Order: sequence, then C-alpha cells, then structure tokens
Amino acid sequence: MLSLLIWLPVIGALVLALLPAAVPTHKIRLGAIALSSLLFAGSLYLLFQLDLSDPALQMQEYIRWIPTLGLNYSLGVDGLSLPLVVLTNLLTLAVVYSAAIWIVNGVNGSDRQRLFYVLVLLANAGIVGALAAQNLLLFVLFYELELIPFYLMIVVWGGAKRDYAAIKFLIYTAISGLLVLVGFLALRWLTDASSFDYEVIKTQGLSIRTQVVLLTLLLAGFGIKIPLVPLHTWLPDAYVEAATPVAILLGGVLAKLGTYGLVRYGLGLFPEAWKVVAPGLGIIAAVCILYGAMAAIAQKDIKRMVAYSSIGHMGYVLLGTVALTPLAMVGAVSQMISHGLILALLFYLVGIIEKKVGTRELDVLNGLLNPLRGLPLTSALLVLAGMASAGIPGLVGFVAEFLVFQGTYATFPLPTLLAVVGTGLTAVYFVILLNRTCFGRLDNRTAYYPRVTLAEQAPALALTAVIFFLGVQPTWLVRWTESTSTAIVASLPAETPEWRVATGATDSQEPTQAIALTAPALSTQSQSTQAH
Amino acid sequence: MIQMFVQSAWLIPLYPLLGMLLSIFWFPAITHATGPRPSGYLNVVMTLLAFTHGLLALIGLNNGQAPIEFSLPWLQVAGLDLSIPIEISSLTVGAIVVVTMLNLLAQVFAIGYLEMDWGWARFYSLLALFEAGMCALVLCDSLFFAYVVLEILTLATYLIIGIWFNQPLVVTGARDAFLTKRVGDLFLLMGVLAIYPLAGTWNFDELATWAQTAEVDPTLMSLVGLALIAGPMGKCAQFPLHLWLDEAMEGPIPASILRNSVVVATGAWVLIKLEPVLALSPFTLNACIFIGAVTALGGTLIAIAQIDLKRCLSYLVSAYLGVVFIAVGVQQVEAAFLMTLSHAFSMALLVMAIGCIIWNCITQDIRQYGGLWARRPITGIAFLVGTAGLIALPPFGGFWAMLDLGDELISTRPMLLGLLLVVNALAAFSLMRVFSLVWGNQPKPMTARSPEVFWPMTLPTVIMVGFVLHLPLILQAIGLLPDWATINKDVALLFIWSTIFGLSIGGVVFLGSYIKKPVEFPIKAVQDLLAYDFYTPKLYRSTIVLFVGILSTITAFFDRFLVDGIVNLFGTVTVFSGQSLRYSTSGQAQFYVLTILLGITFLALLVSWPLISHLSLVTS
Repeated sequence: MLSLLIWLPVIGALVLALLPAAVPTHKIRLGAIALSSLLFAGSLYLLFQLDLSDPALQMQEYIRWIPTLGLNYSLGVDGLSLPLVVLTNLLTLAVVYSAAIWIVNGVNGSDRQRLFYVLVLLANAGIVGALAAQNLLLFVLFYELELIPFYLMIVVWGGAKRDYAAIKFLIYTAISGLLVLVGFLALRWLTDASSFDYEVIKTQGLSIRTQVVLLTLLLAGFGIKIPLVPLHTWLPDAYVEAATPVAILLGGVLAKLGTYGLVRYGLGLFPEAWKVVAPGLGIIAAVCILYGAMAAIAQKDIKRMVAYSSIGHMGYVLLGTVALTPLAMVGAVSQMISHGLILALLFYLVGIIEKKVGTRELDVLNGLLNPLRGLPLTSALLVLAGMASAGIPGLVGFVAEFLVFQGTYATFPLPTLLAVVGTGLTAVYFVILLNRTCFGRLDNRTAYYPRVTLAEQAPALALTAVIFFLGVQPTWLVRWTESTSTAIVASLPAETPEWRVATGATDSQEPTQAIALTAPALSTQSQSTQAH
Repeated sequence: MIQMFVQSAWLIPLYPLLGMLLSIFWFPAITHATGPRPSGYLNVVMTLLAFTHGLLALIGLNNGQAPIEFSLPWLQVAGLDLSIPIEISSLTVGAIVVVTMLNLLAQVFAIGYLEMDWGWARFYSLLALFEAGMCALVLCDSLFFAYVVLEILTLATYLIIGIWFNQPLVVTGARDAFLTKRVGDLFLLMGVLAIYPLAGTWNFDELATWAQTAEVDPTLMSLVGLALIAGPMGKCAQFPLHLWLDEAMEGPIPASILRNSVVVATGAWVLIKLEPVLALSPFTLNACIFIGAVTALGGTLIAIAQIDLKRCLSYLVSAYLGVVFIAVGVQQVEAAFLMTLSHAFSMALLVMAIGCIIWNCITQDIRQYGGLWARRPITGIAFLVGTAGLIALPPFGGFWAMLDLGDELISTRPMLLGLLLVVNALAAFSLMRVFSLVWGNQPKPMTARSPEVFWPMTLPTVIMVGFVLHLPLILQAIGLLPDWATINKDVALLFIWSTIFGLSIGGVVFLGSYIKKPVEFPIKAVQDLLAYDFYTPKLYRSTIVLFVGILSTITAFFDRFLVDGIVNLFGTVTVFSGQSLRYSTSGQAQFYVLTILLGITFLALLVSWPLISHLSLVTS
C-alpha cells in the first residue's frame, strides 16, 4: 500500500508526460486532480488503518535490493511519518487543483501546465518516499531525488530572480543531502551494521563523542532543510521567487523533511548524544524563533514576510524535539502539521492577492476587506490564517504551540519563555500585514480587481476548515502521533550520558559531575523550577 | 422543567455562537438582496434566548436547584488532561444573566446607532462572539480555558475596533488594542505555563486549595504572580497597558457599551478567581495594589482633562477597575465583585447616554456642547443616574462596593482609604464636569437642534436606568448588602462627604459663572500632561515600539547584508556593474559552500558546547 502511494504518482507522471500533445490541458489537469485526490484518499485510508495503540512501524514492506551496499527497499510508517504523508498529499491536491490560477501565463507564452503536474507528482512521490523509507540509503535517495522536480519548478515558474533562487536552493539542499549521506555512511562504517536498515543500526556501542560528531553532521544537513538560522539564506529567496503552488509545497512539506529527519534519524539513532546537544539546540530554536519574527517585522513584501515567519515557526518544532518529554514531542509533530497547513493557507492567500491586485508591496496594498470592490473573503481568510499563525486559540497553531511550550517549560524555561515572546512578535508582523493589506481605505480609482471565484477560493476554504476543525478538536491532531511520540521519548536512556574524553590520561579521573549538561545560562533556572 | 434549564445552562454560549455563524450569510459580499439588517435582528433574538435561558436557570438555582459541576473532555494527550471544568452556580449563571442582558441592550441600541451602516453582519457577529466568549469564560472554572477565552476576545477586540477600517485612527487603534492586550495575554500564558509544574492543575478551585498549603519559592511565586496579573492588567486597561482603551473609543458606541462595562470586567473576573494564588506572594498583592492605585488616581485625573466625550468615560473605566485591583490586592474578593458589578451597570448606562447624544449632535468634542437639559432631559436623567450608580452615593450600587472596601481599609491601610476618597471625589467631579458641559450652560451651534433620539436607543437607555436604580434591591435580594447594624458609619460618612465635595465643586466650577470658561488648570504643563494621557503614546513610541523597530531593522539588515551578503558578495558586484547574475561560470557555488561551512561550524560549536567547555577545563 505504501509502495502504491509512492509509485502511483510516478506512473501518473509518466503517463501525463507521454500523452500525445493533442490532449487538451484541462483534461490533463482533471487527470492530475483525479490522481492526487486518489492519493489523498489513499493516505487518509492508511491513516485510519493505523493502529494507534502500537507505536512501532506499521504497514512495512521489505524487498532485498542491493545487499552489497546494504540498500534495501524497506518501507514503513508510524505516528510520526503518516500524518506528514497525509499532509503532503493534501497539499499536493490543493496545489494541483489550484495551479492553473498561477501558471496560466508562464514563460514564453505557454503555460506548460502538463510539465507542472508531472513535476508536482514526482515531487510528491519523492517526499512520500522519504517519509516512508526505513533504510537510511533509501531515505537519502528519495531525499536527494525530490530536489530535481523542485529545482525545475522554481526555475520554470518562478519570479524575476528565479534563476538565482533556484540555484541557491539547489546548492544548499544538495549539500544538506550530502551531509546526511556522509553521516549515514560513517554511521554504518563505525557501527559495522549489516545494512543501512533503520532497525539494524544501533549507536549504543559508539562513544558519546563519536555520536555527537555524527549527530552534528545530520543536524547540519537537516538544519539546512528546516532551515535553522544561520543556514536559512536559501529560504526567503526560494519561497518568494517560487510560484505560489511551488512555495506551498516548499514550505508546507519539503521543510518538514528536515524536522522529520531530525526526529527520526537524529533523535532516533542517537538518543544518548541527543541528550547532550539538546540544550544547545534549545538555544538555536529560540534564536530561530526570534530571528525569524524580527526579520519578518522589517519586510515590505508580504510573501517575504510569510517566508520569514516560516523560519520562526520551524523553531517551535525544534524546541519541541529537544525537551524530550512526550508532551513536547507530540507538540513538535503537531506543529509540523499545523505549520504546514497554516503556511500553505498563507501562501495561497498571498498568491491570490498578488494575482488579483498585482502587487505584494505592503506600502501599495490597502483596504482589501472592502466588501464590494476589495477581496473580502480572501482578506477574511487572511485574517484567520495570520491569527492562526500567531497562535490564537481555537485555531490549530495554538494547540501545537501550547503543547510544545507546556512540554518544554519544565526542562528549558528560558528558551520556552523566549518562544512565547516570539509568538508575541508573530502577532506584531501579522498585525502590520493585516492592517496594511486588509484594513485601510481602498482607492476607488484603481480598485478594479477581478473577482475571486468560488472555485479559486475552494482550496483556501478547505484548508481553513481543517485549521479550524483541528483547533477546536485537537484530539484529531494529536491522536495519530501520541503513542509513537511517547515511545520515542520512552526509548531514551534515563540518565544523561556523561562526557568522557578519552584522549588524555588525566581525563578518565576527571569528575564528570562538575560539568553542567544544560547550557550554563539555563541550568540555574531549570533547577530552581524543578526543585519546587 | 426548570431543572432542565439549569442542567443545560452550559450550552448558553451556543446561542450567540449560532447567531454569529448565521450572520455570515448577510455579509454584503454574500447576500445583497435583503441588506445586512436581518443579521442584527437574528442576533438580538439569539441573545434574548440566551438571556431567557440564563434567567430561568438562575431562578431555578435560587429556588434550591443544586449547583452543577462537571467537566467536558477536550484534549487528553501524553499525560496532560485538558478537560473543560464547567461550574453552573448562581454566581456564574448570575454573571451570564448580566452579560447577556447588557448584550441584549447593546444590540438593540446598535439597531438605532448603526442604522445607516453597512457592516451590520460583521458587527453583530463580533458582538455575538464577545457574548459567547464572556459566557464561556464565567462558566469554565479553569485558568487555562480562561486564558483561551481571553486570547480569543483579544482577537475579537482587534476586529470590532477595526469595524470602520477605512479610517486611519481606527486602524492604529485596533492595532494598538490588539498588541497591548496580546502583551498582557502572553505574560498570562507564561504564568499559565509556569503554574502547572507547581500546582499540577489549572482549575481555579483546585488552585485555591493548593494555594492554602503550598510552599513555594517566594521569588518564583512573585514572578509567576506578576505574570498572572499581567493578563488582567491588559484586559482591564491598567497602567501602563491602558492606552488601548483610549484608542478603542474610535470604534462604534454599541461596542463601547459592552467594552467599558463587561469586556474589561473579564480581566477582573480572572483576577478575582486568581486571588488565592496571588495571595501566596505578598509582593504580588502589593504590586496589584500599586498598579490599581496608580491607575485609579491617574485615570480619574486624566478623565478630567479630556475633551472627547467618550474618552472622559473610558479613563474612568480604567480608574474603577484599578479600584477592583486594589480590592483584590487587599483580598477583599466580595468588594471586588461588587465593584465590578456596579461599575458594569453604571458605566453601560453612562456610555448609552453619551451615545444618544453623540448620535445626533455629530460631534464628540465636549467643548462644542452645552444647554441640552431642556432638549434632552431623558438622556440627562440617564446620565445622572449612571453617575449616581458609579460614585459612592447612597443608596446606589457604587456606594456599597466602596463601603465594603473602605470598611476593611480603615483599620488596615488608612492611606489607601484616603486614596479611594480622593478617587471617588475626582470621579464625581469628572462626571459632574461632563454633565455640566453637556447639559448645563447655554446651547451652542452643535446643540441648538437636538431632539431625543428614536426608540431603539432610548428604550435600552431607559431600561438601563431602571436596572441601575434597582441594583441595590437586587444586591439585597442576593444578600450582598451589609446589615445596617454592622455598617461602619464613619467610613460611610467619609465617602458621602467626598462625593458631595466632588459633585459640588464640579457643579460650581463648570455650571456657575464664577470661573471663566473654558475652565483651565492654573498650571498648563499639568493640564497638558493629563490631557495627553501622561504622554503614554510617546512613551510607547520611544521605548518598546522603537526597540522592536530598531531590532527588526537590524535583524533584516544583518540577514540581508551579512548572512546573505557573504553569499552574494560576488553577485552584488555584478549587480553594480550592471550585469545580470550568472551562476554557472562565476564560481558562485564556492561562496555558497563557504557560507554553509561557516554556518555549520557555528551550529557545531553551539551543539557541542559541553564538550568544548570540558576540553578547555582539561587544558587549564
């Protein structure tokens, strides 16, 4: 079944590509919509087939492939990856359905819709494959392959600086893949594992120091993808220059591969070393959150603003993964889903505004909430999406952020409080965005915007409905992932491993208790809270 | 039968919610044929249903139906149980009755006030959201859900102030209200996060029980306590988070009726509920008293210096909620409740009266008013009744609240009692000033033709007059009034004198001809200081707004020219030399790799900090 989700889009893409040129575009579009609906339905079906009480991998498939390399075709999903698969397929459907709005007048007068659908389907297959892969090498394969369609999508349908953005994206993410690959190769080499299968590789035999070095490789690799400050430079350009549907996929699902990889391969393979680096990661998370928000406040382009908001919001995911409490872990996974939904909605609405009004400049936009000549529904949804992103209760963003905060506070009070400040700053830039875009007086001389049809709004309405539903009934968000998250945390060693530096003769005598394993700035506070 | 109403009282928030959802159909962009008015009528009906339901439940509870407590499951995950504890008691249902009653009157008032407006559907759906939120707030007995509701209401405040979003002042007002309240809310969230590891619960009841025996680090508890009062501070427009209420006056009056009476009271409600927790730290209680005292005194003084009719009242709102803060600070919960209630009634009436005036005199500038007594006697009487209800004038509501509080203070903190007397006198003076300037003296051009307004506005006002006049009877019926025998006659006399003092001086200064009009305070600087609200907007702009602005600019600059700049070093040169960027041949890729390497080094350093610190320890 999992294979079907991966290979069906590939086959579909091939079929679409090989159809005779005489087939009209709208039929190809319908075909792509039908296929992605089918994929979405299939992933939903899998979601309901998931045994929620069982934290282990389910629906596994295993084919020996190249034993000499240790590469096997091994698939499986659990509460961590399956929700992301569903999110991927949902956003793919939204993108395929709505792409025609944005890519009608592509380069050279032809819209090349057919190419777009083919690439989207291939990208979808790559991401789902990476999420389902249970062999490290297989994961890297998907992780790298999915870059090609993304690169092409940015470079073909992007904005004015698309070449620049695309090459930057490609280089950064390729290096990300390279680092991950090096990390995996070294891991197998050092552990003498019989293959790259996830279950075979155990790091317990390695010294903590080796583990930290390997983990750092993975952190850097996935850190580019998430992205973490200061590895984020590719993001604003890629997100802004990419066409709206591509930006939705980039921010909504591609970035999630980074956090997913961090949890699955960083935390999952290096539980001991993870505990060592966690305090540092907590600081990085807080830095990302504040940095993203601060940079967003100063932006004058609404799409760029939303792009920077993404840096901040991925910081919450990272924060949730470092506390190592079940609650924070559930929060982190929920935040991946919630951020994917909200960011997709934001990009979608910004895309509609850009399409209808013709600008993304904060200083030009005004009064779109006007019921007759503005874009009232789009504006109303934008208010909702902005508030969801700012963490207003009743919408899905709040639930995820709150779980992260509550789960993390006891362990890392200071980064958590800084993250709360970050939600305040999120409110600041969204108020700036809404005040300039939706509020204000519409200039009647220039306000001759084309109507936004209901069909164009449909994906936004659907996403809004999901954001609202999951915000009011958060059980439906967390239930899928609860047992897996709890199991991940439970599998960690109870004791924080001690640093033993094996180089000098004196080191072994060194009393290791003296070293605070929480970062210096935090340790006093966390102790004072725990004491009570 | 009546049992059913009591048991289903927790569903009352659903009436306004339903009204809100149905209103959507009358948005101008959706339904054009009927105009937006049906949404208003629909919401009035829904509120009437909610009010009736609440009233029946209250009757049932007062006739011996047992209070009900149960919890609704919401979210259970990873050891965290977030169920919504519902408490249906005569207190909570009573609060619901007050909220829905005021909502009903405000919504009827809006039918008149917004007669020509096209934004009915939006406006009424937001009023309904407020109503639902406030009903839910009083029903759920949990700090967490109180936070949730307060935060949703913050968003609703943003939208309802921004109802006339064409006007620049409205837009900035909405922004400031949202951000100020959000600051308070986020501190509250920090408090919510921090209290759970300590107390293990968010239920107000259990928190109170925990607080009785808890032994907590005083410093930590003070910090948590301060975070917890920051939320109510924002909601109740206390110094220094009070500016939003002033700017919120740019919104329509029917919303102000609710905002000044019950919406601000949501903060007071949470504060009162938190009193046992705050009591764990004397420092927090003192902070509460201090904030309340500063706001009470500052608010009344500023109110006197305002020339905008609505703002004359809005600062009194801050001031009276400051008194509530004082009451909570000295742990007089009953006095705090009483003050909140009497203030809500009287302030709603005062705003209604002002609204009736503003609606057909067009202006809000108090200097253009005068001589309305002959033309607008009903409104004038309404304003006087509201005044009487607010200040300490027996036998009206405000008197009993002040008396209750003063009774305690005279023995423990006489200084605070003195402050309350001053605040009361200043409030009386301030209201007398408004009354004299609007209804007294000679008519001016703007008031020359000013008939009483039509029924949708007059009727709620007159009904409200009835409520304010009968408030003492209601209080007596529910046993909130002290026994005549136990009243501290000295305190009562002090308050009566301070009221008489304030009213008479106000009358002499602003009605009589002894003092030159317009009245000016001898020291211009002081008058300006008060008129410009202690220059708070400037203070904000030159501190926090400036700080965030500069920091964000620096971050963006840093991001663009340092982080990204290294990457683009080569590219920028080509831009300046007028060439398009080329990537395949220019060796750009090496620069990317360089930045990535730098970034990774940074990350690696941070991540392996324990190792590095250990190493340096070894070598030394």
